[in-house]
Amino acid sequence: MLCAALSWPLLAARVLATPPPLPAEHLTVERLPPRSPHWVYIYDEAFDNEIDARVYLFDGDRYRRLGQIGAGFYTSLNLSPDGGTTAVATTYFARGSRGTRVDVVEFTDNTTLTVTREILVPAKRALSVTSLFNLAYSADGRLLYAAYMTPAASFGVLDPAAGTVLGEIDTAGCVEVIPSGHYRVSSICESGRLLTVTLDAQGHELTRAMSEPFFDADQDPVFVQGIPTTRGVVFLSFLGEVHDIDFSGAQPEFGAPWSLVSAAEKGHWRPGAYQVGAIHRELGRLYVPMHEGGEGTHKDGGTEIWVYDLASHRRLARWPLKVHGLAPVVAVQVSQDPAPILFATTDKTADLAVLDALTGQLRHIEKHVGQSPWMLLNP
Amino acid sequence: MRRLDQLFERSTRSLAQRTSRRSLLASLGQLLTGAALLPLLPMDRAGRARAAETKPRADGPESCQYWKYCAIDGFLCSCCGGTSASCPPGTTPSPISWIGTCHNAADGRDYIVSYNDCCGKSTCGTCDCTRNEGERPIYRPSRNNDLNWCMANADVNYHCTVSVILGVAEK
Repeated sequence: MLCAALSWPLLAARVLATPPPLPAEHLTVERLPPRSPHWVYIYDEAFDNEIDARVYLFDGDRYRRLGQIGAGFYTSLNLSPDGGTTAVATTYFARGSRGTRVDVVEFTDNTTLTVTREILVPAKRALSVTSLFNLAYSADGRLLYAAYMTPAASFGVLDPAAGTVLGEIDTAGCVEVIPSGHYRVSSICESGRLLTVTLDAQGHELTRAMSEPFFDADQDPVFVQGIPTTRGVVFLSFLGEVHDIDFSGAQPEFGAPWSLVSAAEKGHWRPGAYQVGAIHRELGRLYVPMHEGGEGTHKDGGTEIWVYDLASHRRLARWPLKVHGLAPVVAVQVSQDPAPILFATTDKTADLAVLDALTGQLRHIEKHVGQSPWMLLNP
Repeated sequence: MRRLDQLFERSTRSLAQRTSRRSLLASLGQLLTGAALLPLLPMDRAGRARAAETKPRADGPESCQYWKYCAIDGFLCSCCGGTSASCPPGTTPSPISWIGTCHNAADGRDYIVSYNDCCGKSTCGTCDCTRNEGERPIYRPSRNNDLNWCMANADVNYHCTVSVILGVAEK
């Protein structure tokens, strides 16, 4: 009894010190904050289990994942010109890893990350490691072009607003869908030429023209991972030639090629990656993952990022990556705002690095962001 | 005794109906030839010692460095239940492929190698091997390994890749 009387104040003190219980929670679905130019869409090929590719939306300021978009099998994807929609062209099998093949283009509302529309397409999609030009919108967003390969090459013309397939255009063995104007689609040919097909607003072919060769597929092939500029697309070659192509006119115009490497560096240092460059369009800066290596190393990834001024062709900087503990970089993307950040991903380690795109200063490494982050997109 | 005779007669006639002298000779020939060749076949006398090792030999078909894999980018079927030239059980070979030219240091020859995909199951997920000697982008499909070469199969799901010698490359 005496013991109980003595312990009562202690017990009371403990009760008084105990915080009130947590309130009951209400299950909700998170809403995305307003869009930021520092967001990046990370395409994960999921190479070890390719029927489950996906796209992660990542905030490059707060270093957190915001959500995910399903991407299926051997995916092609792109953002609409207004950035409001992610288009994913993919393939599913009726029974998971087997069964009837269904090819479909899915449209995700980027404010909610829900699929709002889909278009069934012929089972002809190009099943390939992706680039920005396997699926591409016209500049006004009215048409969407999807690369087909069976292995005969062609492309589908889709109407995203109506949710219909308008038709199919044969490309005579040339590949990719590089959009320009109203409504032109260019494709790269083995001969080193560009085939440009002009369509009417209903997606019917009006004219086609073949350019002169601008590269030699035997001596120095270009990567198909072209990089959009203000007036066209830059293609890099295996040995580091820069082919700046102006797509603003009726037919593509080819600038005189220039080199990323000096005569002494040529053949030793070279570009290599799955997404082999990024361009800040207003600043005119080109970012390229570079490595030391020979023939056959074009997918090896960069041990350094080299930065160029597109107007003067001058190299502005070399940013080593190993000092940050990064494996070779296989994809790069840069935000398009005045305070840009550079995103860079690695292959097997699947790290995402966030760098100041003006100084190269490392801001953050998101470890193991996925499995095979091979392409990065931003609005 | 008569019953025994009938039994032998029936069995002999039955054998004669099912076989021929030629097939008997062929079988005997195969047996004799096989027995004659048996001592000549290469034997891996170190096999027992090597069985305890788990790491594949650098020059063996389960290693990415194996000479036939010079232009491959995919999962080695030799790690997935197949071999360097056969698909794993239950998969289907792709009828179309890309090719590479690989040097075999053992005999000093260059060989044309066909890289066919094995299809119908999801990715094998082991022994990922990326070597790209002579590999070219998708606008040159015959030399491109970024394409899923199961694309023309009834089931286009990609499982792994084999490396089949087509012949010696002519200089």
